[in-house]
Amino acid sequence: MAVYLARRLAFAVVTILAASVVSFLLVHASGGSPGAITAGAGATPAQVAAENHRLGWDQPLVTQYLTWLGHAASGNLGVSLIDGHNIWSDLTARLPVTASIALFATLLSGIFGVLIGVAAAVRGGLADRTVTVGSGVALSLPQFWIGILLVYLIAIKAHLLPATGYVAFSASPSQYLQSLALPVITLAITGTAIIARTTRTGMVSALRQEHIRTLQALGTPPWRIRYVHALRFAAAPVVSVLGIQFIALFGGSVVIEQLFALPGLGQAAQNAIGNNDFPAVQGVVVIATVVVVITNLVLDLALGALDPRVRTA
Amino acid sequence: MNAPVPALSVQDLTVRYGRAGKALPAVDGVSFDVAPGETLGLVGESGSGKSTIGKAILGLQPANAGRILLHGADITKASLRQRRVTAVDLRVVFQDPYSSLNPAQTIGQTLAEPLRVLRVPGDQRRPRIGASLAAVGLPADAAERYPARFSGGQRQRIAIARALVCDPQVIVLDEPVSALDLSTQAQVLNLLADLRESRQLALLFIAHDLGVVRFLAQRVVVLYRGQVMEAGPAEDVTQRPRHPYSVALTAAAPVPQPAEQARRRAAREALGVGAAGAAPPAADGCPFATRCPLATDVCHRDRPPLVSGVACHHADQVARLRLPPAAA
Amino acid sequence: MRAPRALRTAGGALSAAWLVFLLLASVTASWWLPYQADAQDPAHALAGPSASHWLGTDDLGRDVLSRIAAGSWISVGPALLAVIVAFGAGIPLALLAAEHGRWVERGSSRFAELLLALPSIVILLAFVGAVGVHPWAIMTVLGVLLSAPVYRIFLGQAQSLRTRLYVDAARVNGVSSLRVNLRHVLPAMATTIAVQAAQLFAISVLIEAGLAFMGFGPSLPSPSWGGLIAAASQHVYDDPWLMVPTGAVLALTVIAANGLADAVAGGGREAEPAVRRTRGRAAVPAAPAAGGPIDGMLLDVRDLTVAVADGPALVTGVSFALPPGTVLGLVGESGCGKTMTARALPGLLPEGVEVTGGSVWFAGRDLAGLPDKDLRAVRGREIAVISQEPMVALDPMFSVGYQLTQPIRRFRGVGRAEARRIAEQLLREVGITGARRMLRSYPHQLSGGMAQRVCIALALTGSPKLLIADEPTTALDVTVQAEILSLLRALVRTTGLSVIIVSHDPGVVADLCDEVAVMYAGQVVESGTVAEVLGSPSHPYTAALLAANPHVAEGLPVPERLASIPGTVPAPPDWPTGCRFASRCSLATAECAAPVPVTPAHAGGPVVAGPVVAGPVVGGTVVGGTVRCVHPLSSPAPLPVPHHAEPGVSS
Repeated sequence: MAVYLARRLAFAVVTILAASVVSFLLVHASGGSPGAITAGAGATPAQVAAENHRLGWDQPLVTQYLTWLGHAASGNLGVSLIDGHNIWSDLTARLPVTASIALFATLLSGIFGVLIGVAAAVRGGLADRTVTVGSGVALSLPQFWIGILLVYLIAIKAHLLPATGYVAFSASPSQYLQSLALPVITLAITGTAIIARTTRTGMVSALRQEHIRTLQALGTPPWRIRYVHALRFAAAPVVSVLGIQFIALFGGSVVIEQLFALPGLGQAAQNAIGNNDFPAVQGVVVIATVVVVITNLVLDLALGALDPRVRTA
Repeated sequence: MNAPVPALSVQDLTVRYGRAGKALPAVDGVSFDVAPGETLGLVGESGSGKSTIGKAILGLQPANAGRILLHGADITKASLRQRRVTAVDLRVVFQDPYSSLNPAQTIGQTLAEPLRVLRVPGDQRRPRIGASLAAVGLPADAAERYPARFSGGQRQRIAIARALVCDPQVIVLDEPVSALDLSTQAQVLNLLADLRESRQLALLFIAHDLGVVRFLAQRVVVLYRGQVMEAGPAEDVTQRPRHPYSVALTAAAPVPQPAEQARRRAAREALGVGAAGAAPPAADGCPFATRCPLATDVCHRDRPPLVSGVACHHADQVARLRLPPAAA
Repeated sequence: MRAPRALRTAGGALSAAWLVFLLLASVTASWWLPYQADAQDPAHALAGPSASHWLGTDDLGRDVLSRIAAGSWISVGPALLAVIVAFGAGIPLALLAAEHGRWVERGSSRFAELLLALPSIVILLAFVGAVGVHPWAIMTVLGVLLSAPVYRIFLGQAQSLRTRLYVDAARVNGVSSLRVNLRHVLPAMATTIAVQAAQLFAISVLIEAGLAFMGFGPSLPSPSWGGLIAAASQHVYDDPWLMVPTGAVLALTVIAANGLADAVAGGGREAEPAVRRTRGRAAVPAAPAAGGPIDGMLLDVRDLTVAVADGPALVTGVSFALPPGTVLGLVGESGCGKTMTARALPGLLPEGVEVTGGSVWFAGRDLAGLPDKDLRAVRGREIAVISQEPMVALDPMFSVGYQLTQPIRRFRGVGRAEARRIAEQLLREVGITGARRMLRSYPHQLSGGMAQRVCIALALTGSPKLLIADEPTTALDVTVQAEILSLLRALVRTTGLSVIIVSHDPGVVADLCDEVAVMYAGQVVESGTVAEVLGSPSHPYTAALLAANPHVAEGLPVPERLASIPGTVPAPPDWPTGCRFASRCSLATAECAAPVPVTPAHAGGPVVAGPVVAGPVVGGTVVGGTVRCVHPLSSPAPLPVPHHAEPGVSS
């Protein structure tokens, strides 16, 4: 088990490095240069070149990457070319925003999705078919479209929740929740549909297993068969999908953040890319990858805890 | 006596799964020969390595040590690609009639495939397929149909037809009748006996059922945990076994005569063979030592050599373990 | 191949129709569009739907319908490209990795994991930042990123498919690896490919629209759907209607893609109703048997009929009775109905199969008419079942100890500690040394024999009177089988348990049973004590079955050929009204075409048969062995001549 963990950790580190290399290369492929930005518009080529030299842009790629890596390992992701802000502190300030959305959306999807999926699997018939069709529609709706509609209906027409903006938890818990409500609901619609389907399929498959026959032959009460044994059997794929959900929400929050004007990592990515802010782009990719990798590790541990066949292997 | 070149010869075969040193080998130093036209039964329970031997012979599993000779030619290291040329005479019939035929292909397409590999011209394929099907007792129009239309016994015949279509000389049969009902099993066994005689086929018959092997095989090799325990003429091994494991195996198979079976059961229980799930075998010594009623220190220490067909340190004492013959 | 079936469902047909319509409309757009996509008409900007503009106009007076149609190809095409790239890279890699074993698989799987871990949207944006906005290029990169999950999914499938024996057979026959993949592995993946392709297409369309929404789509004024939605969102206050058509067409397309995926996948089991609806209402048999149960019998089965719901009967007119402490064997080949008969007793038939006639008298009640709720009280406590594959009969998620203590607590009302003690004792009773360690083990750690012992212990938790053993040793090695049979014998002796054992092996029956009922094509054809039935069979089928057994008794020479029975067992819909064995019987005459009554045979043996309801009635109940044959063999008759050298008549 310890060996397995060590190997996963090592692979996690490799993944983060690989991501940083990919973004590093993309950044350098863009054709622009940091000097052009810091020197400002209307600078002469000589001034741009001077700036590039100051920033180390003309050094060999490998040296540049290793320099960056060295700094990054000690928590220094550099400063923004645009306004000079410290990238690390900026991103760590934005992290809770994106993480809050992803976490709450995943939680809501998980709770409602599992409830709906179990009900569909257990009741069968019309309820099941309704859930299948309904979830099929729900997960097909474009999230940004839903978001706008919700903003229009709930925030603008009904004045129930704020349309945009983010309030930190420390500032005001109730406003924090309110500011997150619409984005989270938007994301949770798709999420619930996916989880409901996964749960339903998992339960149906679980109930077909031979060990369920054994339990029936022992006269085990149906509630126990369904909610203790079948659910446990179906748990692994559901947890897996929840993990993937979280990662997808985390990485895909760009659109939602733009829509709801939330100062998260997605916004940082968009700004950085739009402004050719090279160090910021690097920073965002690395931070995002770290989160994904940690989530995968936690997911692996959870799956191991759930399935004894994995645990004792 | 100078025997002719054996059709199939396995010499000191060893096969390991996983990394070396991790677990005991699945096949550990097994040797036997199959003469042309002879049927050899390879008998063992799960974990005996019999299926692995079959796979190694067919090239589906690499051998870690030892040699496999087909008509005297070494095919041990031959890849599947090379075997197209070097092992043309070697074909296979598998156990499960339901997964050994591609459900998306007609019988004709399935039977044509080996002919196509051998570059048999198109116009010759049909007659050969028809002849093959006739040899196993199926009509020629079966070639147009899909496997789903056939029963388990019929599918197994089709698998045999597929093995026959290239006129092989050696066929490896990996538990070909284990998944069939008794009456279907009898039909297929009769068919194999007929084919064996009419075509002088050498058959390597892998099975777990001694009764079936006794019917079809002339010689039998008994395997336990990857090692040969006993080898000899089928009649001798099944009726007068000389190894404690062979005795246990023959004693365990139930016969459908209640009085006789009661006697056998009493004798079997008196044998004192250890339960199958008992302590796992040690790396040294005889693999059966942890269960054997005759085991002594030397059995746990030294692996018994195969001497005149028996691998047992106490072969001389085995006769008294045997079930006394039935009262006339 | 599979597609037509998917199109037969409503969802599949509608989805396919929409997609085809969309494709045609976008390709032919220039011919039928009423307006140019960028023809402006500021005077009529932001108008709602009207006769001249079916879907209204946007902020520059352009016709919305025309813009949507004109933008369909650029919104959907690149997504198709992403799918093609993803599958084009993912599937060959998966096939290769499945074929070449560990190192190749390890390497490519690690690479795939890496790709999966990259934050895709961010990478895409970075790509955009690097090379600018080129929808086709961007979606190619997305395709590369998506090839990782495609690879994952199809690697698992390919590996599983390669374990199928027909792949091995092809490889042995020298078929090239390319051909093996193309002809044997890939076709079996066709359904999954179709489903995944549709789903991936849906995801790609959404991602592309999202990028366009953010401004990273094809440059304006090219009317990509995402861009249209973005423009519409600017005017959500003054013209909220604008949001509807633009979003709806996108949503409908994605719904159609997912709907098509569902339809293709739904050809399989996913569409079936979920769990077996435990029958709340009583399953009233069509015709309960006449007369009450016989005294002194633990189990009295009369004229049992089991059938597929609205379908053919699988078991007809089966009658037998079991005194306490007896072991009865139900022997026959596959399809004879022995398993259905055994499972019908505690009401554990599979979905869609039910008892349609007869009675099952047990402890004074007819179980055949009881609702599931009442049967639950009987199961485990009075009637227990063990089945064929012990490895999968136990729940892999819970320890052996948990699975034992739960029913113990339920049946005996004891606390956890006491239940553990009882569990440990039960495990010892079934011959497991190291019982305490076994309680902590998990099913996947057990061998077949061990698992079956645990299953027997589980069956004993309720102290049942009757144990139904459905081919309990078929999946076990012969030495392990001998041990389990000895165990069952011992349990019968010490606890007075009655056992009904279902088997295809007459040797097993001879070892364990006191009485035996031979079944063929849904009927009991002969019954009696083991000594009589197996020693001097009355029914030609029993005789033929025994003759086909290669386990010749010691001392007898091996036959030249085994006596095989020509032909095959008839399927339930094809059962004749007369003797069902007649078509294969060497003794058949014209009389065998009429329904055959059950007649007494074998003087001894308390196996009881009730009166036959269909066909001629034998007066009163019969106590003793029976046979269902017009001209049974007189004992000891010579067996029918073995069929020589006939490979068997083709059917």
